[in-house]
Amino acid sequence: MTGSSQDKAWLLEVNGLSVDYGLKGVSSRAIESVSFALRAGEAVGLVGESGSGKTTTAMAIAGLLSPNARVSSGDVRYRGNRLPIDDDAAMRPHRWSETSVVFQGAMNALNPVHRIIKQIAEPCMLKLGMSRGEATTRARELLELVGIPADRGTAYPHELSGGMRQRVMIAMALACRPSIVIGDEPTTALDVITQAQILKLLGELRSQLNLALILITHDLSIVAEACDRVMIMYAGRIVEDGTVAEIFARPKHPYTRLLIDSIPNPANGKKVIRPIPGDPPNLVIRPSGCAFHPRCPSVMGVCGTEVPSLYKLGQGRVACHMYESSQKDKVAAHA
Amino acid sequence: MPDTADVLCLESLHVHFPIQGRLFDRLRGRPAGAVRAVDGIDLNIGRGEIVALVGESGSGKTTVGRVITKLAQPTGGRMLFDGRDMTSVQGSSALRPYRHRVQMIFQDAYQALNPRHTVFDIVAEPLRSLRLVEDGKQLAERVGEALASAGLNPPGDFFARFPHELSGGQRQRVVIAGALAVRPELIVADEPVSMLDVSIRAQILQVLVDLRAKHNMALLFITHDLPLAWLIADRIAVLYLGKLVEIGSADEVTFNPRHPYTVALRNATPQIGGNVGRAELPALQGEVPSAARVPKGCRFHPRCPVAFDRCREEEPPPVEVGSGHTAACWLAT
Amino acid sequence: MSESTVRYSPRGRAGAIKGFLRRFLGYGGAQVGLVCLMFFLIVAAVPGILVGPLQTAINATGDFLVPPSSQHLLGTDEVGRDVLNLVVHGARISLTIALLATVISLVLGTTIGMTAGYYGGRADVWLMRLTDFFFVMPSFVLALVITPVVLEVMGRGGEILGLRPSLFVIIVVIGMTSWAFVARIVRSQTLSLKERTFIDRARIAGSSNLSIMVRHLLPNLVPQIGANGALVVAGAIYVETSLSFLGLGDPLQPSWGTLLSLAQRAGAASAGAWWCLGAPGVCVLMVSLSFVLIGNALDDTFNPRRRVIP
Repeated sequence: MTGSSQDKAWLLEVNGLSVDYGLKGVSSRAIESVSFALRAGEAVGLVGESGSGKTTTAMAIAGLLSPNARVSSGDVRYRGNRLPIDDDAAMRPHRWSETSVVFQGAMNALNPVHRIIKQIAEPCMLKLGMSRGEATTRARELLELVGIPADRGTAYPHELSGGMRQRVMIAMALACRPSIVIGDEPTTALDVITQAQILKLLGELRSQLNLALILITHDLSIVAEACDRVMIMYAGRIVEDGTVAEIFARPKHPYTRLLIDSIPNPANGKKVIRPIPGDPPNLVIRPSGCAFHPRCPSVMGVCGTEVPSLYKLGQGRVACHMYESSQKDKVAAHA
Repeated sequence: MPDTADVLCLESLHVHFPIQGRLFDRLRGRPAGAVRAVDGIDLNIGRGEIVALVGESGSGKTTVGRVITKLAQPTGGRMLFDGRDMTSVQGSSALRPYRHRVQMIFQDAYQALNPRHTVFDIVAEPLRSLRLVEDGKQLAERVGEALASAGLNPPGDFFARFPHELSGGQRQRVVIAGALAVRPELIVADEPVSMLDVSIRAQILQVLVDLRAKHNMALLFITHDLPLAWLIADRIAVLYLGKLVEIGSADEVTFNPRHPYTVALRNATPQIGGNVGRAELPALQGEVPSAARVPKGCRFHPRCPVAFDRCREEEPPPVEVGSGHTAACWLAT
Repeated sequence: MSESTVRYSPRGRAGAIKGFLRRFLGYGGAQVGLVCLMFFLIVAAVPGILVGPLQTAINATGDFLVPPSSQHLLGTDEVGRDVLNLVVHGARISLTIALLATVISLVLGTTIGMTAGYYGGRADVWLMRLTDFFFVMPSFVLALVITPVVLEVMGRGGEILGLRPSLFVIIVVIGMTSWAFVARIVRSQTLSLKERTFIDRARIAGSSNLSIMVRHLLPNLVPQIGANGALVVAGAIYVETSLSFLGLGDPLQPSWGTLLSLAQRAGAASAGAWWCLGAPGVCVLMVSLSFVLIGNALDDTFNPRRRVIP
């Protein structure tokens, strides 16, 4: 593992992070040696299916793991300092003021009996020690920032549309001027046109405030629109990491390739349905070797027995035995 | 390809849900208005044709599906199935012949399966209720056959399972098997893949497309996803606030949209490798208004980037803009 | 196509029941309640073997109002009957009345609640007004009204299911005054179940309304009915006790309430004969408490919101 001192350029580093969930005495691994790093102002998409570990990774970074989760190895560093991600109380000063989260269901996250302006002002008062008057002024600024007229602040959550509520959630996430915003499927419950509006807003805020964005989604096409870099996760591991342009033009991992192929794309004009055979993996019973091997079209003998590690390949990283032979110098990907 | 006769024909279909007014209004007998969920739709589906109904939430697309499957009653217009007027037929025994021919697939397979029934009972239910089998042996055969067509092999392994013991994809296959078991002529599929994992979606789509190839089954595919509609459908109908704004072949609607709303939908859909002809129009502002307060004139005009005076006053009729391609926009004329 | 990379353990209905029992018995309240209830059920099942035939004033074995001793573990009453003997025989009467009344209450409540919830509209409005009516109906008044009717039908000496007319009146009265509670719960549960997609699917599959109610709604209502049924039994024991205490019981088939009533009338309280009042009183308390404990444990087991979700 490299020393943190030389990596000051990184805003966030995740080193070999593994998280287990304990469920009725059975422990199952949600993510396994996940490593990546993030620069200030960078937008990374974390893509995977259910059970891929994308949400666990993001929640670990925000220190919001559920009580039955345990960090079994690895750490998360913010500006070179190790974060106490498994200590809720110790994470409190960091959360929201450095890393904040925009959740999926805006209706559940907002208190239905308080006006939205009050709900946005609250974290400003608690975290930044503002007076009520200052906090209200800040809340009005934030509303304008996310494209809601400040006068609408007197509305209750149910009086707003889904898109507006999601904007309020974003305003709340920005209240304490964080440098990282994690979006946990922030547009999944929204309609196509509203989704485009929210993605556009996130992009604008990112360049305006130099925010780093971690976008968790199952939808590759959203990442293609909103991110610089994408990491594909499968069964708790990162299987491919690269720039958006590179991955969509030349996907390396067979899973990434199949995933891209399975998305209908009128732009290439080919009306062919290409299913990926098999089911997404189950966390408790994980296939041996490469977790994708039972579904992989280019499976080899070694895939069933050995877990491929994440190698540096070109600009990005990939975890697949196919590229192992071509890659003589096995550089640890994160170095 | 569609035969000469259409299997289903909707003529000026309306579904208005009355709004319960306040007590004071009700006492004075004042009508409190209505939610115009479906507000005059003409749509026909040919035999073995796949039609996609595309719209956002609140567009009324689910209500159309519920009317066709007789879960909701229209308040106006007619519904013809195989030339017969089915608009006012009601009651489970009177509907039995219709149920035999029209089935439905649901968005949330977990919700659609009774947690206390086994897979066998679930798939057998329509066969038993509609009295399509004579004995237990025939029933088991038909259930096995349906499960196999839905891609659950070997079927026998699934008979005794409960829904919670299946994966998401398998549950949706069970729902499909239940619809298939009666060998219907039309299946209404309401967002059948939107809750599934990306890698499973294509599997389910493949099952649906194969059905058409094998049994010449027609499909009404309800979705919010334009590229998905393009992939699976022969024709696409775009719904906005209870009315069809554009209808045409999948390629025409996708590559040559004539209604500003369709253009906006296409532009808003995130795409890998960029959009075809993106940025013809500025992005839409705001959201779909409530169906209880439908704007005057063209119902899209408050959000339309190219609206002009006439749009605010008069509702545009559907106009033929190409072969089998119509759009309801004053600019399309 | 190899559909599952995961092997699911084939777990049928038996497995589901086993899982339910494990969760249910995990509650301390359920264990206490079940042990206590088992004790009373055994007592009620074979009273003759345990304490011999029911004692009356004629075959009484002791002196008047003897305090508990080695010969009469719970003392004797004002006519010299062994209180233990009376209480054990009373268990049979009390439990029979409570359980039969609960059956009536559950059948009525479930049918009316489910019908109202499923059909909605006018059926709902009228059935729920009927429910409200029975909800506020005082059991004592209802008992006074129907006693003559039952006596007319059965005759004073007749028996139904081995129960004499006045006990039969009590069963009917408790059944009729407690179903409204069940109906309300079943209706609200039905309203939420009705919105589930599997009901739509059943309708599209061509199932009739009756079949949807019996095959789809009822099995999903069983948890609620079971949990509340236990609470209804607890309530029924109390109502039975109070009705009997007020003098509606039958001295020839004395329930715990009747015993309390007789002790009260004989002046047991003022005479300091605490055993006469205490023994049946404690029994009533323990049985209803065990049913409440079981009901709550059932509710906790079935109610998914209280279960820890990973």
